[in-house]
Amino acid sequence: MSNSVTRPRIAVTLGDPAGVGGELVAKLLSDPQTAARADLVLISDEAELAVAGADAGVPIDYAAAGADSDGRPRLHHTCARRPGEFERRVATEAGGRWALDNLEIALGLAKAGEVDAILFAPLNKTSLHLAGMQEQDELRWFEDYLEETGFTSELNVLPGLWTARVTSHVSIARVDEGITRDNVTAAAHLLHRVLHESDIAAPRIGVCALNPHAGENGSFGRHELDIIGPAVADLRAEGLDVSGPFPSDTIFLRREEFDGILTMYHDQGQIAMKLLGFDGGVTVAGGLRIPICTPAHGTAFDVVGKGVANTGSIRNAFDLAVRIAGKRALAASS
Amino acid sequence: MSSPLPVIAITMGDGAGIGPEVVVGALADPAVYDRCRPLVVGDARRLRQAADVQGVAVEVVALESVAQARFEPGRVDVVDLGLLPDDLPWGQLSPAAGEAAYQYVRVASELAVSGEVQAICTAPLNKEALHAAGHLYPGHTELLAALTGTEEVSMMLSTPKVKVIHVTTHIGLIDAIAKIEPGLVERTVRRGHEAMRASGIEAPVIGVCGINPHAGENGLFGAGEEEEKIEPALETLRADGIDARGPLPADTAFFLAGRGDYDLIVAMYHDQGHGPVKVLGIEAGVNITVGLPVIRTSVDHGTAFDIAGTGKAEVGSMIEALRQAADLAPVSVG
Repeated sequence: MSNSVTRPRIAVTLGDPAGVGGELVAKLLSDPQTAARADLVLISDEAELAVAGADAGVPIDYAAAGADSDGRPRLHHTCARRPGEFERRVATEAGGRWALDNLEIALGLAKAGEVDAILFAPLNKTSLHLAGMQEQDELRWFEDYLEETGFTSELNVLPGLWTARVTSHVSIARVDEGITRDNVTAAAHLLHRVLHESDIAAPRIGVCALNPHAGENGSFGRHELDIIGPAVADLRAEGLDVSGPFPSDTIFLRREEFDGILTMYHDQGQIAMKLLGFDGGVTVAGGLRIPICTPAHGTAFDVVGKGVANTGSIRNAFDLAVRIAGKRALAASS
Repeated sequence: MSSPLPVIAITMGDGAGIGPEVVVGALADPAVYDRCRPLVVGDARRLRQAADVQGVAVEVVALESVAQARFEPGRVDVVDLGLLPDDLPWGQLSPAAGEAAYQYVRVASELAVSGEVQAICTAPLNKEALHAAGHLYPGHTELLAALTGTEEVSMMLSTPKVKVIHVTTHIGLIDAIAKIEPGLVERTVRRGHEAMRASGIEAPVIGVCGINPHAGENGLFGAGEEEEKIEPALETLRADGIDARGPLPADTAFFLAGRGDYDLIVAMYHDQGHGPVKVLGIEAGVNITVGLPVIRTSVDHGTAFDIAGTGKAEVGSMIEALRQAADLAPVSVG
């Protein structure tokens, strides 16, 4: 009974076939702990799994589609279009199409309630655009596909520090249109909820200001006084441990004080997060019915086929998917 | 025999504040004299009092001419204007001290214009005292610009690995984006380029940040601000032989600069430059003004009237300001 709760069903895609995605997944699956923690559904085909195993130097042990899985990862045979062999280390339309198709199958399983989380290996933006992806980013696509209407945000996760954004891939000149009391509150709620689901009992959240020096009492903009400050007060009145707005050039120096930092725009968090380290970083699509997790790094064409791709991020992404999906299943069953 | 070390004029700041203490405190560190030839512009008697409260053993020598300066550790060479009253109390607003602080800056800027000093390092002045003395400037930067006939300056920050110059600074984020135009970008890059060359980098590689997330990702994010506001400036600069590259996604530009790809990064707005520099670790805050006849650095603290005259003032920021002034001052002089 409790077993079904603690073993979430996770759909896994290998990402762009030109990159290191397959190698990362193969290495992840080579750890017996991985299959012990989740029922894994590999959206792939035999050829892709074979290349992945060869890249990693360790074959993937999986159950064929339809066969008894016996606790092993199960192949969910893809219907994605394949041109024969994929070119490696280069962005191509075929690779982008393959990655998108497989992710779409995973989303379909999520929509049908057949999986509790999705883990996808790195995509390549150029490939996706060549393949005709119209949406500004993956999150927008997930949101549309799953017909979500609530507040969503990409969450950037480093060990010990999460960030969420009130606005994301929009023009900086129009960022203030997205900075509303409702949006700040919704983004903070989202960050709080996911931090809680990732096993932090009472998340501490620091909120960034929009303007330099947090507006210096209205001298450099009033968003802090009129919007962000009141939103923080609302959140505190709800009993959440939320503080700010703080000047964004120093809030990351105080990162030990927070479990999560809420930023007002994309670069406000991403500049600091990328300086703090690429190793182990995870991106989570937040605000969807299921957690969708992926390594924060890209396809790393320069190391494809060398067997040296770093698995820190995909391990962390898998771990988060398991924990968040497990918490949600627990909440749903109680 | 001439010395290759730059002569740095150190203005003593407001005599009622901690300026005199941080000046003598910093100059008590013999290592300062390995990097530069410090020349204080201020008040010899006040500096002796400050040395007493700081408990440092230095000989304060009032010079009759700059030529008498010896720049030896343990000796503080002072262009002594003798303007402070004998009984000036510590920690109290004094128009006389404000007037004197103004005169220190005036003399230092004359020394800079005449080429007798290669950089200026300023101890804090008190704005109220400056205004009470009838000099209605918002601060040092504007005062120095007026005294040297400079129309526009830029703010730079420096860490051992990364230097960043700002196109806009103390202005609300949305107003800052509106203010950016190709002319301002071009002039800022030129000031940074000149400063880098003067400090001994023959062909500086300059990375220019974009405005929008991912530098607009070819028009996907934003309203084409990169094409409109930045690219025309870069074309002009490159036609003039300046190696200005970009617009770069800001969230990777600083990472690349940190590993040595760029000598200077150009940030479009305050937090875009300040955030990463602080994450990269400024030991003690120092502001650098670029575009004056000489480089000017300043401590990041104020007059701290509450602790003036107690010997409690920290000298780290002044030592760092001197180090950065020496670092950026023209090489091979004297």
